Amino acid sequence: MLQLLDLFAFLSVLLRAMTLSFEALTVGGVIFRFAIAKGDGEGNLDSRLSRFVVWFAGLLAVTQAAYIAADSAILMESTQLTWADVRGAAFCVSGFTIIAGAVAVAVFARTRAARFVCSLGCIPILVGAVMSSHSMARLEHRWELAALTLAHHAASAAWVGGMPYLLISLRRTKDQAAAAAIVGRFSRMALAAVPILAVAGAGMSFAYVGSTAALTGTAYGIMLLSKLILTALLVVLGALNFKIVRAVRNGVAPDLFPLRRFAEAELGVGITILLAAASLTSSPPAADVQNDRVTHQEIADRMRPTWPRMETPPLTDLSPPTILQPLSAPASLIPGQKIQQPSTPGDIAWSEYNHHWAGLIVIAIGVLSLLARRWTWARNWPLVFFGLAIFLLIRADPENWPLGPNGFWESFRVAEVAQHRIFVLLIVAFAIFEWCVQNGKLSAARAGLAFPMVCAAGGALLLTHSHSLSNVKEEFLAELSHTPLAILAVAAGWSRWLEIRLAPQVVRWVWPVCFILIGAILMNYREA
Amino acid sequence: MNLSRKAFVLAVALTCFKLPVWGHAILLKATPAVNQEVTGANTAVELRFNSRIDAKRSKLTLIGPDSHEHALAISEQSSPDTLSSRATDLTPGSYVLRWQVLAQDGHITRGEVPFKVH
Repeated sequence: MLQLLDLFAFLSVLLRAMTLSFEALTVGGVIFRFAIAKGDGEGNLDSRLSRFVVWFAGLLAVTQAAYIAADSAILMESTQLTWADVRGAAFCVSGFTIIAGAVAVAVFARTRAARFVCSLGCIPILVGAVMSSHSMARLEHRWELAALTLAHHAASAAWVGGMPYLLISLRRTKDQAAAAAIVGRFSRMALAAVPILAVAGAGMSFAYVGSTAALTGTAYGIMLLSKLILTALLVVLGALNFKIVRAVRNGVAPDLFPLRRFAEAELGVGITILLAAASLTSSPPAADVQNDRVTHQEIADRMRPTWPRMETPPLTDLSPPTILQPLSAPASLIPGQKIQQPSTPGDIAWSEYNHHWAGLIVIAIGVLSLLARRWTWARNWPLVFFGLAIFLLIRADPENWPLGPNGFWESFRVAEVAQHRIFVLLIVAFAIFEWCVQNGKLSAARAGLAFPMVCAAGGALLLTHSHSLSNVKEEFLAELSHTPLAILAVAAGWSRWLEIRLAPQVVRWVWPVCFILIGAILMNYREA
Repeated sequence: MNLSRKAFVLAVALTCFKLPVWGHAILLKATPAVNQEVTGANTAVELRFNSRIDAKRSKLTLIGPDSHEHALAISEQSSPDTLSSRATDLTPGSYVLRWQVLAQDGHITRGEVPFKVH
């Protein structure tokens, strides 16, 4: 059981992120159906919308149940409490509240009572979400913060959660007037959501962050900043959509087609923001982290450009490898928690060398993809990913095969090594796939979308990876460089998506430039 | 695997699984304090956190000089952010107070407070 707890701990964080997303998509769906679509559109649009609401509400109930199960399992195993003891915990009560609301929405969404019951069902969903937020654990201003959290959740659900339903409506509605009416109502609602999000967000930031030192010196603060940058990107995409709506209304533009494409990117960025929000809920509020805050000077020193390290340190400079114990050895006594070994100068040099060469490879990919616009030979740029895969396979885990004493199959017992090998396979598969797209072996219209999706998903997941509870300075400074990488990956992914789906000239240059910037950041990565 | 290598893989792969995060209850003040030297066979234990704690579902364990683990009974909370107990029958030596708390927002956090008894 103890060995499974690592997996449960990982799952509980992932499930929290999924819960936030499905909450927005369920509540957003109900709002869209009854306040935006209002039965407009053609044929079976309402039936289609309600079917999606049912699916998302069902997924919300399932993920919330899984979250309760995972968290309860961790608690029961680590405290020897029984289910009877655990079921009254606040996270169970809030979880069951959300499940009750989600089940009500799912069951009644396709009945005559849908408008009344679904609208009512959104209340426990939102209340349950607030009950498991930072606000309820605060000692001061608990109810004020709960009110702000509620407003924040409702506004983001209405806007981001409503986006997929807008896309469905536009796809299903051939009548331009009906489509324009739906888009007009959605735009007005999005315009109302922005100030609510801004005011509620500012209020919570004031309570949870409180100072610029906390904003830039803690993991929570940096995550909040990245969320703000992505929200700004979302507002820009929303403004472009608003412009398209006005142009169509005034007869300047022929149809709403570009809006659909921008809305796809808007939805993707919106979901990324929800993932970042899940990460925020799993981090200690910046205002509470008083020790080991990083100063502006320390950040500036770490970010100062220096010449990259292109020569590897010898293997003998690394920390002694951990020899794997026989399978019968006892499991970790502290489930879910991993003790990080402090890095030696040799470890740091090894890691920096890895980052710097990886950066060079990524810059090569960015430059070649730019050259590919003029020279066909450069369309082989996805093959450069092979270099990255081989590099990762050899150097990511030097204590294991091929550099270390632990054998190839033996080292699969270490979860991280297994993950790295999966990454290697994914990179190879991805390189072959994208090479086929670039060289016309596969259709770019559909197969080409794999590249932006992997990029955007990778950036989103990188943005949501764990943060140190104790705000260890070195760990924080290492994470600091990952945040711009994640934002650039998200920007690269969605700009490539728009290039394929809409082909506006300006975004063609965005994603290669993002790749070059990612490479440049990697080449300036330092750990000391 | 050390932090450096983990960071490298995170950056190179540009994709990763979310790693376990044990919530956000931060220990603000501990009695005995970290590495404090206390005298006598009995000592009051008090831990104050940055958030509301579910005492019924939290746990205090004292690990003695002989590595024996002994669960401490948690007293009724005087304040929602505080856990109190009493360690008795202490003998001279090094102790570790291991705590695990469930915050009101559902996050589980754990940590240790080492101290010595004279």
